[in-house]
Amino acid sequence: MRAYFSAFRMRLRLETQYRGAMIGGILCQLFFGIILVALYRALYAGRPQPIPIEHVTTYVWIQQSLFRMLTSTDVDLYDKIRSGNISYDLCRPVSMYWFYYFRAAAQKLMGSLMRGAPMIAFAALLPRGWGITAPDSLPAFALSIAALFPGFLCMCALENIAIGVTMRTLDPRGISGMLSLLMITFSGNLLPLTLFPDRWQAVIRWLPYSQLLDAPIRLYTGEYAPAEAVWIIPMQFLWAAVLMGLGMWLWDSNRKRLIVQGG
Amino acid sequence: MNTIKLYVRSMGMLMKSHMQYTSSFILQMLTQLVMEGGEMLAVILVVDRFEKVNQWTGGDLYFFFGMMSVSFYTTEIFARGITGDFPSMVRTGRLDTLMLRPRTIFFQVLCSGTDPRRITCIAVGVASLIIGSRMSGVEWSVLKALALTEAVLMSCMLILGLFLIEAIFSIHSVKSVELVNAITYGGRSACQYPTDIYPRPLKILFTVVAPFALTMQVPAAWILGKPLYGWPAWTAFVTPLSGAAVLALMIVLFNRGMKYYRSTGS
Repeated sequence: MRAYFSAFRMRLRLETQYRGAMIGGILCQLFFGIILVALYRALYAGRPQPIPIEHVTTYVWIQQSLFRMLTSTDVDLYDKIRSGNISYDLCRPVSMYWFYYFRAAAQKLMGSLMRGAPMIAFAALLPRGWGITAPDSLPAFALSIAALFPGFLCMCALENIAIGVTMRTLDPRGISGMLSLLMITFSGNLLPLTLFPDRWQAVIRWLPYSQLLDAPIRLYTGEYAPAEAVWIIPMQFLWAAVLMGLGMWLWDSNRKRLIVQGG
Repeated sequence: MNTIKLYVRSMGMLMKSHMQYTSSFILQMLTQLVMEGGEMLAVILVVDRFEKVNQWTGGDLYFFFGMMSVSFYTTEIFARGITGDFPSMVRTGRLDTLMLRPRTIFFQVLCSGTDPRRITCIAVGVASLIIGSRMSGVEWSVLKALALTEAVLMSCMLILGLFLIEAIFSIHSVKSVELVNAITYGGRSACQYPTDIYPRPLKILFTVVAPFALTMQVPAAWILGKPLYGWPAWTAFVTPLSGAAVLALMIVLFNRGMKYYRSTGS
């Protein structure tokens, strides 16, 4: 267990290094957030929806702030897969899956905290209807934070599945590229899931992708009542377990068919 | 003429190299198709829920989306050297080799890359333009076709010009500047929709500073028969020229920037 935690800690430190790039990234993400909010406000002006605009802008800001949690990937690992250096990792007396799981977790956690915290602070300063609103109630807030944890576990598990696929195809731009597109679309980053057609939502809310950020955000804004957390949070954990199982199976079968060439 | 021949030849060579891994190439083209399809899906879902925004109907919104998609990805196909690889050329010192050859740096960089996978993105854009013009009942004429061609051409120049800003920055600071993405990719996201729906600061930004509104939306709105900002018809042919102006200015600045270029070594 200690080995995994030190992998986690090392990766945390690495993530805090590039501060200059981070500030540029934050400003860029803020700009995207403002454009999206302006767009939804214009759309709402013509035809108000049952979901209040404050909830939509809150949705946009949380999604934009935690964007790195969804998208940041371990570039080094992809290089290792392509070059074959991943075979060195077989020498470590740890489970490869969990070793990289903890690394991905550290990267996603630190990357999104460092960018997300200032962005949420900025969004909280914006006037009502532009920025992020206060949570629906205190229990709603506590439960949304609690729901972020299994959501985060799902995100790291999805990341490892994408890597497992890349181990087979060797090219991250093919199938795993498609997987990340699915994630961007059905996690609510492209368009808030609350604005999807109602009949689609009935299905989408059960998919693994909506467990990541959509479920916590809906708990926060009160779209899901606090009482509903009784089945939402267990469902998130269930998906996390399923995705981890799938990823471990994928990594395991990859390890068996791995051929290390000499030289 | 010689220059054009050189450009065509280098594009041909790059295409050949892209075609070496056929199955990977096809798969990547499919990925691009799904990606741009996803972007269009967002517009479709917006139209499904909101039906229209201000005076713009669903068809109009598809038309604007198509304009952006076709212009942006055409630029990516023909000028990938600038839009993609330039910062890494500076960082790795590959740019140095270009200085030995008897052609301008800008031209050689332009010849150094293409991204043919984007062709499927353009296909999505074209489909969106066709669907949009059908739904909005556009009656095509020679003049309108000309306006559309001019708009796409000038928008490509504008987009190339905006990417040159990033190139100029990367000459000075070596590391690529993520912030400049706000104006290129941010501009793409924002101006998929007509700019007159945005609040004043954004409207000014995309009309004056990064004039997407002038190069693609004024003519598009004229084609749809609903002039943007209520401007007269002749503006549909004049304002797009700002794209060429931005590109010319940026090429001058780029050449000036190259005077200060210091190689990073190898």
